[in-house]
Amino acid sequence: MTSSMTRRDFMKGTAAVLGASAATAAFGQSGAAPAGKTRVVLVRHPEALDADSAFNEPVIQQMLDEAVSKLLDASDPVEAFKRLVKPEDVVGIKTNVWSFLPTPAPVEKAIKRRVLDAGVAEPNIGLDDHTVRTNPLFVKATALINVRPVRTHYLAGMSGCIKNYIMFAESQPDHHPDSCASLGSLFLLPQVKGKTRLNVLCALTPQFHGRGPHNFSRRYVWNYKGLIVGEDPVAVDSVGLRLIMAKRRIELGPDQEIPPVPKHIQIADTKYGIGTADPAKIELVKLGWLDDVLI
Amino acid sequence: MKDFGPKIPKQVLDWKASGEDAVYDRKTLYDYMDGGAEVYLAFDFREVFVRKFADAAGNEIVLDIYDLGSPAEAFGMFSCDRQDPEAGIGQGSEYGPGLLRFWRGRYFVSITVSGDEDRAEKAVLDLGKAVAPLLGPDGAPPEMIKLLPSAGLKPGKTAYFHNHVHLSNRYFVSAENILDLDERTECLFAEYGIAGGDSARLLVVRYPSPERARAAAESFRRSFLPQADADGTALTAAKKWSTVKTRENVLAAVFEAASKEYAGRLAEEAVRPPR
Repeated sequence: MTSSMTRRDFMKGTAAVLGASAATAAFGQSGAAPAGKTRVVLVRHPEALDADSAFNEPVIQQMLDEAVSKLLDASDPVEAFKRLVKPEDVVGIKTNVWSFLPTPAPVEKAIKRRVLDAGVAEPNIGLDDHTVRTNPLFVKATALINVRPVRTHYLAGMSGCIKNYIMFAESQPDHHPDSCASLGSLFLLPQVKGKTRLNVLCALTPQFHGRGPHNFSRRYVWNYKGLIVGEDPVAVDSVGLRLIMAKRRIELGPDQEIPPVPKHIQIADTKYGIGTADPAKIELVKLGWLDDVLI
Repeated sequence: MKDFGPKIPKQVLDWKASGEDAVYDRKTLYDYMDGGAEVYLAFDFREVFVRKFADAAGNEIVLDIYDLGSPAEAFGMFSCDRQDPEAGIGQGSEYGPGLLRFWRGRYFVSITVSGDEDRAEKAVLDLGKAVAPLLGPDGAPPEMIKLLPSAGLKPGKTAYFHNHVHLSNRYFVSAENILDLDERTECLFAEYGIAGGDSARLLVVRYPSPERARAAAESFRRSFLPQADADGTALTAAKKWSTVKTRENVLAAVFEAASKEYAGRLAEEAVRPPR
């Protein structure tokens, strides 16, 4: 207990907290981020949701295309996806079906469309959440795409791309102690290790605070209309955490800026070496709409 | 808990009971809560009774009645998440769009809405008023509350809990459990403020033994107040004062105090044996 992250550390800035040793990233850098940095793309569009908060499927496809193209410095989205998956790959799209805030179907469709465009046969593309451990397609998958919404979580502080893989765990409760500190280890499981090609953290309607029996209240969801995209799940979540903290600071006040103990993001870097949590080592590229971007 | 079934209304305004009532215990709570069960298991949770109501448009109201084993635990469950105005139901309550929470006796109740929250408001409040009389008699909040100094104590801001998870949700202190909190520790977190004057946040912890209280204070000083003076007090980067004191098995930690003198006085009063 001599080197813990305290409130004092957090108040010095996220970088001081999340900044840690350089990770031995387990993810290929297909793009052209500056040397030593991992690229994360934030794309936003004012028409991603309409006035009734319904998702705009064509706009979301356009956002994903722009983000992945920029992520890999590719000339078009199909070329970009061809760098991520090969026609012979079996591709599992790990989504999230939490009833209160599931992965939006248009995002799932947009990903699948481009995986098809990259030459992967439809029977070799799967979409699943709770049964990925036993789903035959996910058992034989050679590539994974990780997609889910960003939200706060009572134990883990934030549910993002790292936590999305908890369904690959033999025992989910085994990962709950110590604020879900061990979540990064999920990326080292044989079924998962080295297979994640893309992480899409949906910030279309992020949840910045949780209340009630299921830790959800619509009051704490806002239409940010963004996607956070990267090859490195830790870097993607690190950016997601900055967004959540910025919104909490505005809406809940500085004393509530920090969601409860989001330590698993840093530990995914420093202990499990699966990516980069340090904002100083992340190249955040912002595309599109910048109003109230917050980060 | 199933005894509640026949006593609770099957219809509230346009909302009718839908599906079967359900009861979950400590082993099956995970079946009900996809994430978040630990929040309840950290208290002396016994069972929860669940009834769902739906209207013709598909809007849903969910009634949860949690048996926490004692009034102190029920108060604790209620107290850890208070943000909305008092609703005048049970021994303590709050209502905001889509969520009514209250406690009475050893029961904590939440009523949540999925769908049109404004349309459901009256039904939610009516349902709460119908359920509250079934939960009696009233019970006493944790006796530990008398440890809190009364001057400047902000009403409705005091939380009672046991472990590190609840502290972190109420007020983030550290990513590690530097105060050695667990199911055997009793904690109060309170806010203080006097208009134009002193303000602070106060954490009081009662440990099973004086040894654990002293060890926790030492751990806290080492991790949180490494530059504390001989009194265990330090000025933080935010230009606020923080301190920690113990007496016997009670620890008091003060955060964000407006002055060093106030931090020390508040901590000293909190660890003083109640008269």
